Amino acid sequence: MKKYIIFLVLVAGLGVVLNSFLNSYIQAIFISFIINAIMALSLNFITGLADQFSLGHAGLMALGAYTSAVINKEFLGDQWMFIPVGVLAGACIAGVAGYLVSLPSFRLKGDYLAIVTLGFAEIVRVVILNWSHVGGARGYNGIRKFPDFLLSYGFAVLLLFITFMVMHRLKVSWFGRNLWAINEDDIAAEVMGLEIAKTKRYAFTISSFFAGLGGGFYAHHLGYISPGSFGFIVSVQILIITVLGGLGSLSGSIIAAALLTFLPEALRSVQSGGLDLRMIIYPILLILMMILRPKGLFGRREVYEWLPARLKTKWGIKQ
Amino acid sequence: MQEFLQHTLNGLSVGSIYALLALGYTMVYGILGMINFAHSEIYMMGAFGTFYLSKWFHLGTPSLLNFTIGLLGGMIFAAVIGFLVEKLAYKPLRDSPKMNVLITAIGVSILFQFGGQIIFGADPKSFPTLIEDKNLFSLFDSPIHLTDLLIYFVSFASLGILSFIIFKTQTGRAMRAVSTRPDMTPLMGINNNKIISMTFIIGSALAGIAAVLVSIKYPKIDPMMGVRIGMASFVAAVFGGIGSLHGAVIGGFLLGLGETYLIGYGASTYKDAFSFVILIIVLLYKPTGLFGTTRKEKI
Repeated sequence: MKKYIIFLVLVAGLGVVLNSFLNSYIQAIFISFIINAIMALSLNFITGLADQFSLGHAGLMALGAYTSAVINKEFLGDQWMFIPVGVLAGACIAGVAGYLVSLPSFRLKGDYLAIVTLGFAEIVRVVILNWSHVGGARGYNGIRKFPDFLLSYGFAVLLLFITFMVMHRLKVSWFGRNLWAINEDDIAAEVMGLEIAKTKRYAFTISSFFAGLGGGFYAHHLGYISPGSFGFIVSVQILIITVLGGLGSLSGSIIAAALLTFLPEALRSVQSGGLDLRMIIYPILLILMMILRPKGLFGRREVYEWLPARLKTKWGIKQ
Repeated sequence: MQEFLQHTLNGLSVGSIYALLALGYTMVYGILGMINFAHSEIYMMGAFGTFYLSKWFHLGTPSLLNFTIGLLGGMIFAAVIGFLVEKLAYKPLRDSPKMNVLITAIGVSILFQFGGQIIFGADPKSFPTLIEDKNLFSLFDSPIHLTDLLIYFVSFASLGILSFIIFKTQTGRAMRAVSTRPDMTPLMGINNNKIISMTFIIGSALAGIAAVLVSIKYPKIDPMMGVRIGMASFVAAVFGGIGSLHGAVIGGFLLGLGETYLIGYGASTYKDAFSFVILIIVLLYKPTGLFGTTRKEKI
């Protein structure tokens, strides 16, 4: 119980510090760090744990974002109190879409999920572009935001906490063991009686749900979304965060999200002209990492696994 | 009828481009089991290779000679880029999990797209007229353009040369052997690395040809030009059955025709999504594609 109180106090303290001492620019970056972390966790669940490559998380994010924005504006009277309801609905829609996407993806062995999700993201983008009710290419404007930073911050941290805890509990549960078995040797897993396709389908549905959650919150954080905000490059950015943190390491994803959100902002001043050097540095980073340290920063392990044994027993972390 | 014929002719020229590119995807998939996401960027580099070649050697005047030089230049440039990409990015990962190679391929693709925007500039460039387009004759009132005829001719010639290489020469036999049993071929005296390099060179050369042909027909080139056409060709390869050469060609033509009819009879804004809808239908009802086969796995 004590550790939860300490955690709550720390989170609240950080929120107060961000709210009263730092400007809105840094506050906004902090929120986008949390969104990136949620998206990276979501991708990590399918790519890191289940070893299935997804290139369409931007599409799921777009689905969550548009659903949440439309529901809040059209059905819930444009109130900020109902933002969580909209976000949850967006996540559910993304989850359903994820399940439908997973149906054709796992019929054969191979990287078919990558292709199908890539196509799915493209289809979502084209449909939104042609749907004039939500603004088409101009984007969807005037989405209700939280009136106060602390509210926004609290909701963001809550979402990240839920995402992390659900995924962590799943990772150490029998379901996570199943995923690990598929990851290590899918033939052996099948021989042991595991329904591989079904397990992968569940994993992708869960991953999609959280991608929709991240997307829904993204819409209410920025207040404006357009099909351009969910291009292929967004999927790649999420992928880079996940790979840097380590495929299979949930805490690694959060740390990598922090690194890759704050560092580029800090380096913004050295950028020259209109060139976005990030899009050069990211792929080089990705290629070099695959050659030199393919596991990412933490591999499959969680950060707290490096804590001394005494602290682990004290804080009740299972080995 | 006349309209239909016009769409069919256009569809055939789009389809032959798709076929050339789909062959590159399917060859690499057959031999390494990976999706070469950078293939569409090799295509883009082929177009830029010819662009700079003609700029430096002043090939601006349209003639058949300049066209031939441009075509060969784009082909060789794309082949060199493909060779280097394989050597520098994919070869160090030969023994690592497939996921890592895929991630690297994505990285290479993004690097070329955005590196290209920095080096060449993001704005579209106008491709030199290597050969003058004119109406040669009319077939049932639909004009036949010289560029279209060139596209048909060059792509069919390339397909012929390719099938000669694959099915009649020693290298082709070795390539087929490596794609069937890469663990056994070294025992037969085949150097796997050399054959893999060869596959990349041939696939990339085909992409270079496709790039020059497309740029002559639609003379605007930019660093992102490969993205859409690359995706569509990849879908064509899956449609035909990935790993199968005949499948790639037939998938390319079917997809090109289907797409052109869709644009011709309305719904042009959904063009980008069309190929993926086809893909999902194929994966649902015939996951191996038209000509693909699954291999039984033995332990």
